[in-house]
Amino acid sequence: MENMNIVLCGLGGQGILFMTKMLAQTALGKGIPVMGAETHGMAQRGGSVVSHLRLGEVEGSLVRAGTADILLALEGNEAYRSLPYLGRGGRMYANASPEVFPGPEVKPYLEKHDMICRCTDAGRVAMEHGSPMSSNLALIGFFSAFDEGPFTFTDLRDTIERISPAKFKETNLKIFDACHQAGVGG
Amino acid sequence: MKEQIFLGNEAVALGLLEGGCQVVTSYPGTPSSEILPGVVRLVKSEGLNTYTEWSTNEKVALDNAFAAAISGKRAACCMKQVGLNVAADSLMSAAYLGTVGGLVIISCDDPGPHSSQTEQDTRLMARLAKVPVLDPSGPEEARAMARIGLEISEEFKVPVILRPAIRVCHARQNLSFEPLKSNETKAAFEKDPTHWAATPRFRFLLHKELNKKLDEISRRLEDLEGINRHNLEPGKTYPLGIVAGGIPYAVVKDILKEEKRTDIPVFKVGCPYPFPERLAEQFLSACEKVLVIEETDAVIEYFLRDRGKVMGRLSGHIPSEGELMPQVVHGAMDRALKELGLPPLGEGNRAEAAALMNQLELPIRRPTLCPGCPHRASFFAIRKSRPKAIFTSDIGCYTLGLNLGGVDTVLDMGAGITMASGFYHAYRQDGIEQPIVATIGDSTFYHSGTAGLLNAVYNDARFVLVILDNQITAMTGMQPTPSLGIRADGSKGNTIPLEKVVAGCGVNFIEEVDPYDLAAMSALVKKAAEYTMEPSGGIAVIIARHPCVIAYREQVLQGRKSVTVTDDCVECNFCLERFECPALYHDDGIGHTAVDQALCIGCGVCLNVCPKGAIVEV
Repeated sequence: MENMNIVLCGLGGQGILFMTKMLAQTALGKGIPVMGAETHGMAQRGGSVVSHLRLGEVEGSLVRAGTADILLALEGNEAYRSLPYLGRGGRMYANASPEVFPGPEVKPYLEKHDMICRCTDAGRVAMEHGSPMSSNLALIGFFSAFDEGPFTFTDLRDTIERISPAKFKETNLKIFDACHQAGVGG
Repeated sequence: MKEQIFLGNEAVALGLLEGGCQVVTSYPGTPSSEILPGVVRLVKSEGLNTYTEWSTNEKVALDNAFAAAISGKRAACCMKQVGLNVAADSLMSAAYLGTVGGLVIISCDDPGPHSSQTEQDTRLMARLAKVPVLDPSGPEEARAMARIGLEISEEFKVPVILRPAIRVCHARQNLSFEPLKSNETKAAFEKDPTHWAATPRFRFLLHKELNKKLDEISRRLEDLEGINRHNLEPGKTYPLGIVAGGIPYAVVKDILKEEKRTDIPVFKVGCPYPFPERLAEQFLSACEKVLVIEETDAVIEYFLRDRGKVMGRLSGHIPSEGELMPQVVHGAMDRALKELGLPPLGEGNRAEAAALMNQLELPIRRPTLCPGCPHRASFFAIRKSRPKAIFTSDIGCYTLGLNLGGVDTVLDMGAGITMASGFYHAYRQDGIEQPIVATIGDSTFYHSGTAGLLNAVYNDARFVLVILDNQITAMTGMQPTPSLGIRADGSKGNTIPLEKVVAGCGVNFIEEVDPYDLAAMSALVKKAAEYTMEPSGGIAVIIARHPCVIAYREQVLQGRKSVTVTDDCVECNFCLERFECPALYHDDGIGHTAVDQALCIGCGVCLNVCPKGAIVEV
């Protein structure tokens, strides 16, 4: 497999570290070397949080702007803020309503650089399952419908089953499955 | 053999234990905080006998580790880069005295800065102290350097600094490791007062010995495979070479690989001090120009003697502040290549992306105190009851009280108190009784509050000091404090109540309040302020005690109140600006302020904030 660069973004408290962990564990489970970079400290108190994940033989932990294959965003404005990371032909997966996202000022940029935007209201699905803080799992469920690199539905689901704390496992899987269906259907 | 994904700091922990480290001390601070917990986890899972402690500050941590090291054991202490300032007194002297067992001081740098007061470069601190410093480029190398650091330290009897930068500390990488074994070396301190308690005359001799050790270490490191290395081909010359260390080295290697450039040799400096003179000379003589890429300051660049060849920070080719993100390094390399008439790297879509960002005018997300944070309630009450006061504050989550207008100054650990006494005397000299309310967190108070408070009491300063006691070190990831009496490994220590420490500093006004009760907190701040103005009064200390909503979530959620905003809201935005809870927002749909139920934790403090009484319980 070629190296893969992934950027994950959102706001402090949305569970970006857990989302990064889900992907990293899934890749490692398939024997792919992983390297990543996380945000800790003050920015976790509600600020913009960006996490980087690189698969393959790489030296540095940060994705260079303009070279990300995948952008996973838990919030619309944060998706825009991290858009410069995305490279030509990159795919953006966002927790945002398809009716308003991406905005008209962004569409020409995406088209020009052959970027694909796939979004779903992951936050609403999480809320409907009584777990408003689980939009991260919902977005990963949606993402699992598109078979990106090593991230197949089965492998991601297995990881969630393995690393979720016992008392959240059932809800986590329900949210994941619901958004996977949304991805397959859409 | 086990394989796991390690955080860079956990990789450092692994390297320390692989190097037989028997004592590890630390004071938490981003980006270093996860090293000690990483050690504790491995000690438990591998059944090791390593002693771990959260010390009360960095100097205390270093002194403790130093004592272990001169009793013949291998020891380490971990801190953030500004923590090394606190431990500097100890470091400078320890360099002269040397060690018996290995001693590694891990000081984590924060280029950016992301979570620090300064972008200072630990490598310069190592140069000042005259101790070797190792600069890893990723978690795997940080692990190796932690072990090598202990070995070199023990071989040459000198403390060694390891300085991983934030992108090493908070990187994640998969690593394999073999089962670990305890180091059974026993403590055996050999008395030698002329050495261990050396007077200035002997210190001169110790300085001479240290200089000799550094020469030897420099030669030894040149034999050590890989710490410093270049990839020059024998006999070949190059128009441009790159000299790099730490994270920038990893970034440069990736860029050269991605851009398929094999025409640019790289000299990696893994130990910038003592400087690898012989390798540097080889590299400089093979390259017409060299571009030095390092974080955060110019260090390697100063050590390279042939100034005419060197491009870097001093020549304006590399930014002098901020983190060297890969795109920044890419841009700097591209410009240098263009300047020398060599094939450039190209700019990609950088310009277009920047233009799009400008056009979008995205909201700036400043960090804020969490919904339900007791500090928010404290700052709201303080500002309300003492609107004209100068608010001196300190380092911790509560620095974010500045969003509520409750923080005017932040200098360093403990300065909430020392600056309050400084302001008091500066105004008092002019005959003015300036109201001052100082705030400091519980952990910061134990770290460096007492010396300032003793001084303030002794010199009869007058101010209100609010100790924000959330019963945890929150900002750095929930480490215990001495008032809890729980130790680094979870075992029970002794509890030292704040009240006793404050009383011991000579303060006679000490009262506790739960800041969730805004009325009681406001009344107490007023009462305390009056006490400071009485002729027989003094410093008044309020302990605002309520558990952190992250650390004690279950406990906090028990008394949950369901809150909403009624149509009585007149959109005055008082709550949004002065209370600044992330769960309160302006809802364009309903046309006034509303509660984001996903964020609200139901603390109910805002019920007493709205001037129109529009925030109500349902």
